[in-house]
Amino acid sequence: MTRNKTLSRTIGAAVAVVLAIMWAFPVYWMINSSFQTTATINSLTPTFLPFGGTLRNFQAVLDETAFFPALGMSVAVTAIALVLCIVYASLAALAIARFRFAGRKTFVLVVILVQMLPAEAMFIAQYKMLAGFGLLNSIIGVSIIYLAMVVPFTVWMLRGFVAGVPVDLEEAAMIDGCTRMGAFRRVTFPLLAPGLVASGVFAFIQVWNEFALASIILTEDEKATLPLWLRDFAQTSNLGVTEWGQVMAGAVLVAVPVIVFFMIVQGRMAQGLVGGAVKG
Amino acid sequence: MNKMTRGAVVLTAVSALALAGCSSTDAEEPDETTTTDAAAEVEAQDITLWLAGTDTPEVALTYLTDTYAEVNGGALTIEQIGWGDLISSLTTALPDSENTPDVAEIGNTQAATFTTVGAFSDVTEYYEQWGGDSLLQGFVEAGSVGDSIYAMPYYFGSRAVFYRSDIYEAAGVEVPTTLAEYTEVNAAMKDQGVGGAYLAGRDWRSGISWIFANGGEIATYDGEWTATLASAESVAGMEQWQELFTTGGVATATDDDTTTYSAINDEFLAGTPASSTLAPSWATWTLGDFDAETESYVWNPETFGVYALPGVDGGAAPVFAGGSNIGISAASQHQDAAVQLMDIIFSEGYQSLLAENGLGPANLDYVEAYTSLDTFPGVNEIAYEAAANAKLTPAAPGWAAVEEAGIMEDYFQAVAEGGDVATLAAEADAKINELING
Amino acid sequence: MATIADDAPAVTEPQTLNKKRRSVLPYLLLIPAITALLIGMAYPLGWQVVNSFMEYGLQQQFGQPPVFVWFENYAALLTSGEFWTIAVRSIVFMAVTALLTMGIGIGFALLMRVIPTWSRIVLQVAMLLAWAMPIVAQMTVWNWLLDDRNGVINYLLSKVPGVDMIGHNWLIDPLSFFGVACVIITWASVPFVAFSVYAGLTQVSEEVLEAAQLDGASGFQTLVRIMIPIIRPVLTILLLLQFIWDLRVFAQIQLLQDFGAAGVRYDLLGTYIYGLGIGRGEFGLASAAAMTVMALTLVISWGYVRQLLKEDEQS
Repeated sequence: MTRNKTLSRTIGAAVAVVLAIMWAFPVYWMINSSFQTTATINSLTPTFLPFGGTLRNFQAVLDETAFFPALGMSVAVTAIALVLCIVYASLAALAIARFRFAGRKTFVLVVILVQMLPAEAMFIAQYKMLAGFGLLNSIIGVSIIYLAMVVPFTVWMLRGFVAGVPVDLEEAAMIDGCTRMGAFRRVTFPLLAPGLVASGVFAFIQVWNEFALASIILTEDEKATLPLWLRDFAQTSNLGVTEWGQVMAGAVLVAVPVIVFFMIVQGRMAQGLVGGAVKG
Repeated sequence: MNKMTRGAVVLTAVSALALAGCSSTDAEEPDETTTTDAAAEVEAQDITLWLAGTDTPEVALTYLTDTYAEVNGGALTIEQIGWGDLISSLTTALPDSENTPDVAEIGNTQAATFTTVGAFSDVTEYYEQWGGDSLLQGFVEAGSVGDSIYAMPYYFGSRAVFYRSDIYEAAGVEVPTTLAEYTEVNAAMKDQGVGGAYLAGRDWRSGISWIFANGGEIATYDGEWTATLASAESVAGMEQWQELFTTGGVATATDDDTTTYSAINDEFLAGTPASSTLAPSWATWTLGDFDAETESYVWNPETFGVYALPGVDGGAAPVFAGGSNIGISAASQHQDAAVQLMDIIFSEGYQSLLAENGLGPANLDYVEAYTSLDTFPGVNEIAYEAAANAKLTPAAPGWAAVEEAGIMEDYFQAVAEGGDVATLAAEADAKINELING
Repeated sequence: MATIADDAPAVTEPQTLNKKRRSVLPYLLLIPAITALLIGMAYPLGWQVVNSFMEYGLQQQFGQPPVFVWFENYAALLTSGEFWTIAVRSIVFMAVTALLTMGIGIGFALLMRVIPTWSRIVLQVAMLLAWAMPIVAQMTVWNWLLDDRNGVINYLLSKVPGVDMIGHNWLIDPLSFFGVACVIITWASVPFVAFSVYAGLTQVSEEVLEAAQLDGASGFQTLVRIMIPIIRPVLTILLLLQFIWDLRVFAQIQLLQDFGAAGVRYDLLGTYIYGLGIGRGEFGLASAAAMTVMALTLVISWGYVRQLLKEDEQS
């Protein structure tokens, strides 16, 4: 029995390692290619290890393209949309999870319906609207649209988390002299933390990855966000042969900040989702 | 002299500027007095120019902003819009007078989409002033609706056959002089296993030459556009291309034009090497021997060569012209300033600058600097020869939609896979007719 | 989301609480979210609804007055084989990709439970890397892996005796195109599912499992009878999220088209609507298509939405 168990654990470990290699390989290949010279990249035989590599790709990318302005744009837009989204959505989630009021059902329905609406046909109208506000090529303009894009899903998701926080706690706080809002702030919000992280990550993924609308709204070169920057970069070097080394260096630069961010939040995120689902 | 229009005065002024400033590498301070006449008439305005991709070299951008500042006094902002986003960005921005670029470049196959709906100002009155009949006529047509011109030629690149003279020599074949010979030569090399033509199956922009050479057209206009891929001439051309593809080709039917250009470099293909490829003239930047020092390909005149694709009965076959048009946004609030910018663009100084940087100038009077460019000896001469012969896609309102749907790619691939040309052509015609009239 | 678990004690209580306190507070709480939605959505959505009844093409975009055509756009769409082909294709794509993702994700989570810690961490790190890749970076990398001439996938496949894949373009045949899209999306979505299911499984107590084992239950029985019921709420939500995301997929397909072949044959609903509007300038049709897709989604998910609203009513 124990020998059997040890054996199956070993086989399991082996399978896990194979799967890990499969899942990490594209990421590895990106990093590997980013260190290789054009000659190595263009060769018909791939080189599997980056030894004897070069930093020239990174140098070229950082020197010749506007990576840092794009990073700045992405961070600014994402930060604004994300912070406002979390605040607005958690307030709305409180309202629909804790109160019954006229129009509540309509609001819930709207929140659900809006998520079923494809975004792709509204680009022209969104352009016209921002042009009317004089907000094209501005951080605020894009943030407004992104905020509206992520709020419904976040409300929907946070509602489950709010419902998961026992009302008794709030009532106890109110007996101790807190106002209703005070009770929310002191008791409910701290308990919502995992949920806020989880839904925040979803909003982050959506905002950080968006490029189709951005390409229409942000026409000035120095206003491009990171996805736009990488996409344009991959396209413009498309004269005959793609400079895969440089493109991969660009991809590495785009991916690294997110990988770091995910390393930090991942534990809370999975737990958060489970918490919301099970308790809700 | 008294007949000269305002713009022409600017033009002379600009030319003078160019003569003073362009030949030296540093941007010299142009003589102020030459510009005062013109500047007095148009008030200083800040305008925006949208260029497609990064095709226009840096030095030309600087020239434009500097010269515009001198001539007009306002500031010129240049945005480079990626080719992939060009249509969507123009569609949204051009009608919007607050945010439209004042002058915008557009790919010549996309021009009709916008000229037919009135997105660009009518610039017919400036035709003479900007070069008149010296301008590349095929491109003028592409930017015209009826007798009115809305988008002027900006630059051209044309297609030529880039080949490996060492492989030709080893195989004992000569540069072909007719289109049929091109097939024979490639079939001979392929039989020996030393080389063949790299014509990607889905690269219709290259393959269309066979249709043009045989007198065929993609579509003809007679009140409305009708696709003519199934005409006898077009079918004959496609059958000739199909024969080449099967007997002398080394590319696969599913290859597209993203890899075509470099195929004749050493060790590019796994199987039989490519001994020639039909590519735009600017492909020269990626052709040659690999230089480890600079990490780039260096054109080697010893083993690389270029010739114009031969016609059916000798001479040069008409090729598809790459390049773009440029026009003034109809919604622009700075029409006069935009005209001033166009004056600069069509001035000798700027046209020569484009030519020196390897872009075929719109005004053929200045083509000398292009053909004599010694970066790639002989290449631009051939490219120019081919451009004189070049043809464009139909200037139809729905042409961009035809391209978007990938109909031409699919048609060429199906033919490359050995299908019956007449049947496939009829199918493709039907699909094109649905979209081409917008 | 809150409605999925049957035994939610919290949802019944606020009723009594709130009956006593009717106040403007909930409305105040909703103001920021509603304002954000109105500012960002109201005009575009209104424009879309109105123009779905208009003939609105490039001509209209450049100044011609749009013509009201009643339901012509809708009629044109609903009677065109193209739209339905793409709709069905999208639904099949969604179902295949979402189920594949769920299956593999659950498998990963179960595997993670039984393997030594070190190998679990290796697997977790690998998945985290894949999960964290921004979409544009993901697609760029995959395109490089799949490059027909010297991509590493063709190279490795050609190492198998008798296989020569050099020069094979994966993105030309539509079926192969969607296969590639499905693999990439699955690759990117599995980590999230695996992490969530694994987190859910940690809530299944060891005692329960040991008891089941003592009662003679097989591994499979334990899984179906004990584990799955406990993590059912998590699975339901995950499946739902996968369905939503895979039906709305736009970026991956668009980017794959940037690299490979373009055209209607390679479209799912998202790229189709985008192509209709931005690509062909048929904004009226594109608007009608977007409205139709919303309606279709509602019809498909109606059962779920109604249940959601009903449970909401009761709370």
